[in-house]
Amino acid sequence: MFAAGLKCPGCGSSNIVDDDLYCQAQLVCVDCGSVVSEGTLADDPVGGTDVSYSRTTAVTKKPCLNLIKGLERVKEMCRILRLNSEIEDLALTYFRQAYQQESFINVTLQKKEVLAGCCVYVSCRQRDWPITLGTISSLLDADPTLVGGVYQEMIKILNIQAPFVSIADVIEAHVQEYKISAQHVAKELAEDSKVLTKRAVALVELAGDSWIVTGRRPLPIMMAATYLAWQSLNPNKHRLKLSLDKFCHLAKVQKRKPAVMRITELKEVLCKLGRELPWVRETVTQDYVVRLVGDILEHRHTLLTRALRTHETAMQADCPQASALNSPTEEVAPSQCSESRDQTADASSALQLCPTDRTENQEEEDSHQTEDPEPNWGKRVLFAPPCVVHAKRRRAEPPPVQNVTGDEEISDSEIDSYIRTPQEARAFALMQKAVSSSGSGNS
Amino acid sequence: MDDLALERYFDDSIANDSSYMVEEELDLQSSLKQSHASHTNSRNSSNLLGETETSGRLGNDLDLSFLPDDLSNQSSSSTVPATAATHQNPELDVLEDSGINLDNSLHGMAAVKRQVAVDLGSKSNASPFCPMTPMTPMTPMTPVTEKSGIIPQLQNIVSTVNLGCPLDLKFIALQARNAEYNPKRFAAVIMRIREPRTTALIFSSGKMVCTGAKCEEQSRLAARKYARVVQKLGFPARFLDFKIQNMVASCDVCFPIRLEGLVLTHQQFSSYEPELFPGLIYRMVKPRIVLLIFVSGKVVLTGAKERAEIYEAFENIYPILKGFRKQ
Repeated sequence: MFAAGLKCPGCGSSNIVDDDLYCQAQLVCVDCGSVVSEGTLADDPVGGTDVSYSRTTAVTKKPCLNLIKGLERVKEMCRILRLNSEIEDLALTYFRQAYQQESFINVTLQKKEVLAGCCVYVSCRQRDWPITLGTISSLLDADPTLVGGVYQEMIKILNIQAPFVSIADVIEAHVQEYKISAQHVAKELAEDSKVLTKRAVALVELAGDSWIVTGRRPLPIMMAATYLAWQSLNPNKHRLKLSLDKFCHLAKVQKRKPAVMRITELKEVLCKLGRELPWVRETVTQDYVVRLVGDILEHRHTLLTRALRTHETAMQADCPQASALNSPTEEVAPSQCSESRDQTADASSALQLCPTDRTENQEEEDSHQTEDPEPNWGKRVLFAPPCVVHAKRRRAEPPPVQNVTGDEEISDSEIDSYIRTPQEARAFALMQKAVSSSGSGNS
Repeated sequence: MDDLALERYFDDSIANDSSYMVEEELDLQSSLKQSHASHTNSRNSSNLLGETETSGRLGNDLDLSFLPDDLSNQSSSSTVPATAATHQNPELDVLEDSGINLDNSLHGMAAVKRQVAVDLGSKSNASPFCPMTPMTPMTPMTPVTEKSGIIPQLQNIVSTVNLGCPLDLKFIALQARNAEYNPKRFAAVIMRIREPRTTALIFSSGKMVCTGAKCEEQSRLAARKYARVVQKLGFPARFLDFKIQNMVASCDVCFPIRLEGLVLTHQQFSSYEPELFPGLIYRMVKPRIVLLIFVSGKVVLTGAKERAEIYEAFENIYPILKGFRKQ
C-alpha cells in the first residue's frame, strides 16, 4: 500500500510503502530502503486504543455478569427443590438460550430472575417432575401474573412445548407441605402423610371426573382435597369442628380463599354418591357425608353408575310424555352403564354418555313445552362444570339488526346531534380552562 | 341417456368438492359401479352425499371413524366383479367433454368420486335441478357425521379506514359532543355513536379504527358516520381503504369438554395452563384462527378477516370436540 504524499528524505522518491512485517508498523521507501517513519509504543493514543472494549474479542471470552448470576440462581432453585442433575442441566441450557434473546437481554433484574424460575419450571415439566407455577412464584417471591407472562413469552421465543401436568401428580408433593404428622400436632389431629396422600389423590381424581378440576387453579382444589381427606380419615368431633382456616393455621400453610368453595363443591359430589350407599339410613347432608368419604371412595365406580341410573329415572318421572322417546335410549343407557361397571378404567365415560343421551331427549321435549328460551343443560345432568350449573344471567341481547347494507343514507340530523352548538363549545372551553387553572392552583 | 348424463353432471359437481377420499372407498365404489349400470335402485342418496361431504372434512383431521359402518353395508349388498375399472375411462371422457375442471392431483380419485356420484344419481328418487354450490345438499339428509348445526355469532368487528387528511384532535374534542381526548394517556380521540353502537379511535394522521360492530355492514356504516362527523366539523375527510382487520365470534356446543384430554392429543396446537387462564387456547393453522375453548362448552373464535374463516374453523373444531364428548 502506498502512503500518499510522503517523500523519502533519503532519495526523494514518493514510493513509500507501509511495512507491516514487523510488530511495529513502518513506512519504508521502496527505492532506497530507508525508514521514513515508524510507529512507537509511545504513539498509542492516550486513553486506550481506538477500538472499544465491547468490540474486542475480550467480551466474548467473559460472559455477562448478570448471566452468571442468573445461572447461579437457577442452580440454587434446583437445589432448594431437590431436582436431579438432568433437570438442572436442561434449565441451565434454556436460561443461556433465553438470556441472549432480545426480549430478555435488556429487562429488569427482577424479570431476569423470574426468567431463571421459568426455565426451572419448564425443565421440570419436560422431565415429568410435577410442579406448579405457584411454587415457582413463591420461590421467587414474585407476582404470579408476572411469572405467567414471562413463562408464556419464553416458550414462544424458545419454541418449546411443556407437557401438561396433571393435578393428581402434583398433590403428592403438595401434601408433604402440611405439618400434620404426629410430631407436629396433637394425637387426635395428627395424620400419617402417606395415608393422607392416598386419600387426597382419590378425592382429586373424583373431583376431576365430576368436572370440578378442569379450568380451575389447582392449588385451592388440592387444599380442599387435603382438608377433606384429613377430616374423613378420623371423623372425630375435634376434626369436624376445625374449619379450613384453623386447619391451615395448624398445618402451617397459607389458606387460599377459593378452597372454601371447592370444599362445598366436593362435598356436593360426595353427597350425590353417598346417597347411593345402600347401608346408609340417614339423609346424607354436607356435614354427615364426611364420615362416609372412605366408603364412597372405595366403591366410587359402582356408586357413579348407580347415581346415574337414579338420576335418569328421576328425570323420567318428571316427564312422562317423553317416555316413548326415551325407551330406545333407555335400553341403550343401562347396557352401557353395566359395561362401564365392569371396566374400572373410565367411569367418566358413563358420566358423559348417559347424561348426553338424556339431554338430547330433554331438549326435544323442552321444545314442546317451551318453558325456557335457553334450556340450561347443566341443570339436567348429574355432573356438570359448576360454571354451567350456576350460569351467569346475561342481560337480554338486543335482536340483531337485519339487512344493514352499509351503504345507507346517513341523515344530517343524526350527524348534527353529535356536534356541539357554538354556545356549548364556548362554555366547554371556558370550563376546561377553569378546571385546569384550579387544578394547577391546587397542586 | 341424456337424463342420465345430466344427472351425472350435477352429481359430479357435488362430488368434486371433496378434497380427499380414502382408498377403501376406491375399492368398494369400483364394485358398486357395476351395480349402477345394471339397475337403478332408489336408495337413500343422503348416505353417500354425507360421505362426500365428510370426506371433504377428512383432509383436516383424518377422522376415519365414521367410514366403516356405511361402506360395509353398501359393499355387502352388491356382488360385483372388479372389472368396473374398465368402465371408469369412458365415464371420464364424457364428463371431461362437459367441461368440468379436474384437479390434476386428484385425477385418480376424481374418477372414483364420479362413481360415487353416479351411484348417488342412481339411488335418488328424484334429482331436482340444483345449482352447483358446494354447501347445498341435494336432499335433506341424515348425515353420516353430523354437521354441527351450530352457527357462531359474530360479537365484534374491528375495521380501519383512512380519512385522507391530517386532523386537529384538540379541535375535534372541543367541537364534538361524543368525543374524549386525553393526550397524556393516549394520542387519539375516542368517539362514540349510538347507532350502530360503536367506538372509534381517530388519530391525527387521519387514520381511524372502528370497533364494536356486530357485522361487516354495520362496521362500514358506522365508519361512514364517523367520517361524516369529521367532515361536518370542517375537515376534507374522505373514505379510503376501508378494511376489516379482525372478527370475533362465539358459540356454545352445549356439552362439557375435557380440556386436559384435548391438550394431550393436540399438543402442537393447544396451550392450556389452568393456573394462568381457565380456557384452552387452540391455534388452528388452516384457517389461521385462534379459538378459546372453555370447559362449559363455550367457544370463542378470533383472528378472522372473513366470516367464512370463522365458520370453517368452527366446522373443523366441532368434530374434535365431539370426540372428547363420547369418551
